[in-house]
Amino acid sequence: MSGLTKRVSTLEGSLTILSDINFTVKSGESVAIVGASGSGKSTLLSLLAGLDIASEGDVHLDGEALSTLDEEARARVRAEKIGFVFQSFMLVQSLTALENVMLPAELAGDHDAKKQAIELLEKVGLSHRLEHYPSQLSGGEQQRVAIARAFIGSPKILFADEPSANLDSKNGHLIETLLFDLNKQNGTTLVLVTHDEQLAKQCQRIIHIEGGQLEKISEGGAANVG
Amino acid sequence: MWVKLAFKLFSREFRRGELTIIFAAIALAVLTVFSLSSITERIGLNIAQKSSDFIAADRRLSSNHAFDAQVLTQANDFGLETAKMLYFDSMLFANDELVLGSVKAITETYPLRGKITIKDSLTSPDYEVDTGPKAGSVWLSEGLFYTLDLKIGDQIELGAGVFNVGKVLVKEPDAPFFSLSGNKRVLLSYDDIPTTQAVQAGSRVFHRLLFSGNEQQLSDYYTWLKPELKSNQNWEGIKDRQSPLGNNLDRAERFLLLAGLFGIMLAAVAMAVSAKRYCERQYDPVAMMKTLGGSRKVIRNIFLLHLSLVTTFSIAAGLAIGFILQTIGADYLATFMGTELPQAGVRPWLLSSFIGLICAMMFSLKPLLDLFDIPPLRVLRRNLGDTLAVSRLHLALSFITIFVLMWIFSGEIVTTLILFASTLLVIAILFGISRLLFAAGRSLGLRPGSSWSLAIATLQKRANANAIQLISFALAIKLMLFLVVLKTDIIADWQMQVPADAPNMFIINIAEDEVTPIEQFFTENNIAHEAFYPVFSGRVDAVNGEKFARRVSKQEGEEKDEDAKEGVRREPNLTWLETLPEGNEITEGQWFSDEAMAGHEIEVSVFDGWKESLDLKLGDTITLLVNEQPIEAKVTSFREVDWGTLKPNFVMILSPNMAGMVPVTYFSAAQLQDKHTKDISQLLQRYPTISMIDIKSQIEQAQSIIAQVSLAIGFVLSIVLVSGALVLISQVQASLAERMQEVVILRTLGAKGRLIKLATLYEFMLLGAISGLVAAIVSDVALLVIQQQLFSIEGRLHPYIWLLGPFSGAFFVSSIGYFMVARTMRQNTQGLLRKLA
Repeated sequence: MSGLTKRVSTLEGSLTILSDINFTVKSGESVAIVGASGSGKSTLLSLLAGLDIASEGDVHLDGEALSTLDEEARARVRAEKIGFVFQSFMLVQSLTALENVMLPAELAGDHDAKKQAIELLEKVGLSHRLEHYPSQLSGGEQQRVAIARAFIGSPKILFADEPSANLDSKNGHLIETLLFDLNKQNGTTLVLVTHDEQLAKQCQRIIHIEGGQLEKISEGGAANVG
Repeated sequence: MWVKLAFKLFSREFRRGELTIIFAAIALAVLTVFSLSSITERIGLNIAQKSSDFIAADRRLSSNHAFDAQVLTQANDFGLETAKMLYFDSMLFANDELVLGSVKAITETYPLRGKITIKDSLTSPDYEVDTGPKAGSVWLSEGLFYTLDLKIGDQIELGAGVFNVGKVLVKEPDAPFFSLSGNKRVLLSYDDIPTTQAVQAGSRVFHRLLFSGNEQQLSDYYTWLKPELKSNQNWEGIKDRQSPLGNNLDRAERFLLLAGLFGIMLAAVAMAVSAKRYCERQYDPVAMMKTLGGSRKVIRNIFLLHLSLVTTFSIAAGLAIGFILQTIGADYLATFMGTELPQAGVRPWLLSSFIGLICAMMFSLKPLLDLFDIPPLRVLRRNLGDTLAVSRLHLALSFITIFVLMWIFSGEIVTTLILFASTLLVIAILFGISRLLFAAGRSLGLRPGSSWSLAIATLQKRANANAIQLISFALAIKLMLFLVVLKTDIIADWQMQVPADAPNMFIINIAEDEVTPIEQFFTENNIAHEAFYPVFSGRVDAVNGEKFARRVSKQEGEEKDEDAKEGVRREPNLTWLETLPEGNEITEGQWFSDEAMAGHEIEVSVFDGWKESLDLKLGDTITLLVNEQPIEAKVTSFREVDWGTLKPNFVMILSPNMAGMVPVTYFSAAQLQDKHTKDISQLLQRYPTISMIDIKSQIEQAQSIIAQVSLAIGFVLSIVLVSGALVLISQVQASLAERMQEVVILRTLGAKGRLIKLATLYEFMLLGAISGLVAAIVSDVALLVIQQQLFSIEGRLHPYIWLLGPFSGAFFVSSIGYFMVARTMRQNTQGLLRKLA
C-alpha cells in the first residue's frame, strides 16, 4: 500500500484516523498489526480488505488497486481472494456450522462447497458438530467454525481481527495454533490485527501503529520460518 | 445457487421465528380486511334484501302520469322483473254505507320483494302470501270491515264494479311507514281497473313501477332510463327514502366501513413496525454476506425472494383464517337473525389479497433498501447502519400507503381524511410529549436504585424509540376507543328513536268535536297518547306570486333531490302549531313570535330540505292551495327535521293564527297494548269516521333490524379489538426484545429480578397511560367531527373515555410487558447473554 490515509468527518471537523501508511506484504507472509486501542489498526484492516476505501493513497491487493473498484467489484475481490476471522465470530445464527462454512462458497456460486466445508470442519475438530447452530456451540467452537469458513475457497489472503480476544486463554491458544497451522498448510498470506504482543510474535513481521501512524516494522518470532 | 441458499435461509428464519412477526402482520391485515369486508358485504346484502322488502322491490319508479310502454319493455329486456301499481281514491259502498277508500291496484307479480300479510277472517291468525287478489276479488284492511260492517265473502261496490271481499289485508310490504292515507286500504287486481271506471282522464292517480334484479342489471337499466326520465318521474331505492330505516342503514354501513378502515390501519401499523424490525435484525447477516463476497444483486435476490415467500404464505394464511372467522361469525349472526346470510362475492378475496400485497410491498420497501445499503464494514464497526433506521422516506411511504389503502377500501375521501388527520394529530402530540419528557427528565434529580427512577430514566433514555412505541400504542388504543364509543352512541341513538314506550298506533281523521271525547276516552282507559295535531292537506301553488310548476326545473340524475322534489309535487300534510315540535331545530330565521301569532299575517316554518327544492329564502311568500282555496304565508324560518323518529313530522308548520280558515281533522298517536283491543273496537264503533294506522309491526321490524345491525356491529368491533390487542402485544414484544440487552446488563450487575420487573411494569404503565390519554383526547375530538359529519348524531364529548383511555392503556400495556419480562427473567443470565451474542 502507498500513502494510505483515512479521514472521517465529525461534528468537530475532519479527524485523521490513519496517516500516510506505507508497507508491502509479500505473498505467503504472515504479518501482525499491533497497537493500543484506538490506534487505528482495525481501520487499517478494513482498508486492506476492501471493506472501506481510503481518503488518500491506495491498496494494491494481488495486483488490483482497490480504490479504483466499486463496492460490487471489491465484493468480488473478497469472494475470490480473501478470508476473514473476526473477534465476535460473526456467524449467521440461522445457519448450522456446516452451512456457515459453506456460505462464502455458495455466495460465489461454488457447487463443491459441501465437500470442502466438511473437510475443513474435520480439520478444526468439529466433524461431530456439523448440524449444530451457533447458539448451540461454545465460543471456542464458534471461532473454529469461523476459521473453517475463512479457509473455504482457498483464499490468497486471510485477515484476522483479534481472533482470540473473546476467548479464555486455553481456547485462545487453541484457536491461534489452528489459525497458524491452517495458514501454513494452505500457503495463505495472513494479516492479523491484535493487541497481544505474544500472538504478534508468532508472525514473521510486526507492524506497529500508534496514533494512526506507522511507528515501526519489526521482525516477529516466525521471521525465519516462512 | 442463490435460490438454494435463499430457500435454506428462509426455512431457517421461519423456524427460528424471525419471520413470525412480519408473517403475522400481513396475515392480520389480510384476515382483518377479508373477514370485515365479507361480513360487511354479507350483512349488507342481507339488509339490502330485507330493506327491499320495504319497497316491495329493489327500485321503483313513481309518477302522477302513466309511463310510456317502453319503460317497462326495456326493463324486461334488461332481465329485470317488474310489477305495476296504481293508487287512486274511490268510493266504496256496502251495506248502505259509503266511504272513501285508498285503492292500490297491483299486477300479479306484486310484491317483487317481501310478502303480503293477510287473514282469512277478522278473528283468524294472519299469514303471508306472495301475490295479491285475483281478478274479481278485493282485499280490505280491517278498518273497512268495521266501517262498512263487512265479513269475508260479502260483495262490495268499488266505483262502477262489484267485487268479492276475499281477505283481510293486514300488511303490505311497502305500506308507508308514516302516512295519513288511512286504514281504509283496498288491494285490487290491476286487471280490474277498467271495471271500476274510477280512473278517467283527469283523475288523481299515482302510478308506480317496481323493479327487481341484480345490481348490474339495475344499474344498466338506470343508465338507459336516466336520460328518458321526465321531471315528474322519480326513481328510488331503499336508501333514497327519508325514512328511519334508510338513515339507519346508512349509519350501519358507515360504521362497518369505519371499522374496516381501522382494521387496515391497525394491521398497517403492525406491518410497518414488523417489517422495519425484521430488516434491522438482518443487518449483521447482510454485512457478513457482503464481507464474504456476496454481491448486492445476490443479497437483493435472496431478500426479495424471502419477502415474496412470506407475503404469499401470509396472504394464504390470512385468507384461510379470515374465511374460517367470517364463516363462524356469519353462522353466529345468522342464528341470531334467524336468517341465512347471502354469500359474499369475490370482492373480499381480491380486496384482502391486494391489500396484503400492497402492505407487504410498501412497508418493506424502504427497510429493504436500507438493508441492501448496509456497509460490509459493519462487521468491524457494529453500530454502522443503525442511523439508517428511521428515515423520512420510510415514514412518508408508510403514511401514503396507509392513506391510499384506506381510500381504496372506503372509496370515501372525507372519512379517510378525518381519520388520517386525527392520526397525524396523535403522532404530533406524542412526539411533542416524548421530547418534553426527555428535556424535563434531565433536570429532574431522581433517587437512584428505585424501580420508579429506573423506569423514568429508561423512558428518557429511549425518548425516540419510545415516541414510536407511544404512537403505535396510542393508535391502537385510539381506534379501539373510537369504535367502542361510536357503537354505544349509534345504538343509543337508535334506541332513542324507537323507545320502548313509543306510540304504536296513529289515530287520524279525528273531527274537531271528537278531540275532547277521544282524549277523555284515552284517559279513562289509561292509554298513553300524544298531543292532538290539526292536520290539513295543501299544495304549493306559487312562490312570490310565480306559479310553482315553472319553478321546478328538470334536474336529471340528481337522485338526492328526487325525494324532496317528489314531496313538493305531492300534497303534503300541513299543520299549525304554537311550539316547535321535539326533534326539530330552527336552522334559519325565528319561530313564530307571540305578536306574529296574534297578527293577521300567516307565517310558515319550512323543512330545510325543501328550501333548495323550492328555491326559497326567508321572507318569501308561499301560496298554498288548500281545498282549491289559496292561502298566503310568509316564510319566517327553516327547520331541520329528524325523519329518523317515529313521531309525526311536518314539512310545513303554519302559524296558529290560521285556525278556522281551513277545515281540518286532528291527528294523534297512542301506545296501545293487547288488553286495549276491546276498548279500541268500542272506540271505532262509536266514532266510525276515525282511522287507525297500526305501526306496531313497523316498529317491531325497525327494532329487529336495529338489533341485527347492532349485533353485526358488535361482531365487527370484536374483530377490530382483537386486531388492536394483537398489535399491542407485538409492539410490547418488539420493544422488549430491544430492552433485552439492558435487562441482561442489569441482571449481570446483580439487579434483583423484582427491581427489573417492577421497573418494566412502571415504564409500560407510564407508556400505556400517556398513549391512552392522548388517544382518548384525540378520539373524542375526531368523534365529535365524525358523529356530526357522517352519522348525523348530535356530537358530544365523552368524559368517561378520558379516564378509560389512560387506565385501560396502562393496564393492558403494562400487564403484557410484565408478563413477558417475567418470562425472560426465568432464564438464567448466561442463557440471556448467549441469546444476545
